[in-house]
Amino acid sequence: MFLRHVTKDISAYCHGELSSEESKQFAEHLIACAKCRTKFEEVKLGIKLAEQLPRLSAPDHLWSELEPLLATQSTSVARPSVPWMWQSKVAAAAVLLLVASAGVFWIYRSSRVPPKPSWFVKRLDGAPRIGSEQISNNGRLAVGEWLETDGSSRAQIDVATIGNVDIEENSRVRLLQSRADEHRLELVRGKMSARIWAPPRLFFVDTPSAVAADYGCAYTLEVKDDGGSLLHVTSGWVAMESKDLESLVPAGASCETRPGVGPGTAYFDDALPSFREALKKVDFERDAAVRSAALTTVLDHARPRDTLTLWHLFRRSEGTTDRERLYDKLTGFVTPPPGVTREGMLRFDEKMMSQWVELLEPMWTGNGGGKMVPKKVADAYFKVRNGLSRRLKEMAPK
Amino acid sequence: MAEQLIDGRVIEACQQGDRDAFQLLFETYKDKVFSIAVYSSDGDRALADDITQQIFLKLFTAIRQFRGDSEFTTWLYRLVVNACLDERRRRRRLLPWGEMVAMKKPGERKPQEKQYARLEVTEAVQAAIGELKPKFRLPILLKYIEGLSYDEIASVMGCSKGTVASRLNRGHSQLAKRLSHLNNPEVWGD
Repeated sequence: MFLRHVTKDISAYCHGELSSEESKQFAEHLIACAKCRTKFEEVKLGIKLAEQLPRLSAPDHLWSELEPLLATQSTSVARPSVPWMWQSKVAAAAVLLLVASAGVFWIYRSSRVPPKPSWFVKRLDGAPRIGSEQISNNGRLAVGEWLETDGSSRAQIDVATIGNVDIEENSRVRLLQSRADEHRLELVRGKMSARIWAPPRLFFVDTPSAVAADYGCAYTLEVKDDGGSLLHVTSGWVAMESKDLESLVPAGASCETRPGVGPGTAYFDDALPSFREALKKVDFERDAAVRSAALTTVLDHARPRDTLTLWHLFRRSEGTTDRERLYDKLTGFVTPPPGVTREGMLRFDEKMMSQWVELLEPMWTGNGGGKMVPKKVADAYFKVRNGLSRRLKEMAPK
Repeated sequence: MAEQLIDGRVIEACQQGDRDAFQLLFETYKDKVFSIAVYSSDGDRALADDITQQIFLKLFTAIRQFRGDSEFTTWLYRLVVNACLDERRRRRRLLPWGEMVAMKKPGERKPQEKQYARLEVTEAVQAAIGELKPKFRLPILLKYIEGLSYDEIASVMGCSKGTVASRLNRGHSQLAKRLSHLNNPEVWGD
């Protein structure tokens, strides 16, 4: 199955023209095949662009110009038969009525919002609500609508044809977007578990403090009362993103987010408690001295697998001292590949960063039960993010 | 759907030469036909006016030949597609190559920075659509302007569903390559 590339089916997949089994096979192949994934991104952009094509309005003068031309044609058109003639007055009146109806319909249509896409919802427990309506067994969640569960209710949402999400008790979630190239939920409170078999970056969940971008995975996401959230990935990868920060989280790892700050650093769940506590201070403490001391603890208590955290911290580091400390710790775990220099890494040379992460990445997925080709996913991710960061820098006001 | 107003009785009345029935048909389909004509004539609206009129003029007489073997819309779009292709062939014979190319790229004269505005995206897409070969452009127009399914497009174009999928795929790829500079979150407000 994985040998057959799926590039020719990309548009059909995005337009929902494949069967559910074909869609599933398509998505599974895409997750594993970098070549098809690259093509998928290209076609997806093409679709996004084509969707911008507006339907145009014909000018009003067309009919008045056309009518005399029709008159010249009328002579060659068969004349109405006798039965039509005796009905003609009634028929003409009916047609005129239809024309008037069309006019009314036209006015109605111009003010009418087209039907919104919606997702199937199944009740799992209790009495979940969509808007103010309680759902019995099944329901539909349309774009813009809220699904809410109380202390004893749960529901499952089908994410179009690409996966499903369980909404746990005391949760509030809204469907924001359902398009071929983007499916997006908003979780403002509570907890959800997602299982997605779509290609990377097709499913997103907005929270008050960050956006979870799916890379073909399973995960839980919990939003707390203060707007902070906790992501835990059980399969594949998820990126937690805000305007300025991002964390790439593999299976077996978690990431906290805070309002006003964004995503903290990804860490493995089996990291030492002291490591995790100190990391929280590095991520969210305002006092620079406290953060610096906490970084020392993080460095002291890091294991080889915690290079995931150290790598993220290295990429985020602003001061030269912290960057040097992190680089030295990373090189203690993995010797840099040929061509990667200390000087180049400290100035974030893109090529060297890419070579370096290739060596580090197997440590992050070896025991985590990650997907088949996480390295390539990670490569693509870092490539996209680095390109975006550069672009944003270029566009920033001088 | 406005098309629901066009039932067998209206078509039959049109076949009998009834002007009011034909006006109803015109009002129902004029925007769709005009849109395809505009995008098929490189954004030249005056030319699109002519093409639209020609199509409805032809429809006025040709509708007598409609026997209901296929959906009326499929039959109509086939007429539209053929008219657009005919017009393109005619212009190709009349216009020197350089003039055709110059007509295709109105967006190129615009300042680079404006490319990032959303309105410019629409204009850029319209220009890029005009640069596609008809066999890639028409399935895109039938999909995004008319909202046809792959089966319906195949019926209009007289090809297989697989060919439609393949042409759409290539059309999308070419659009993406031509407008890769628009693959930017600032443009889309992501």
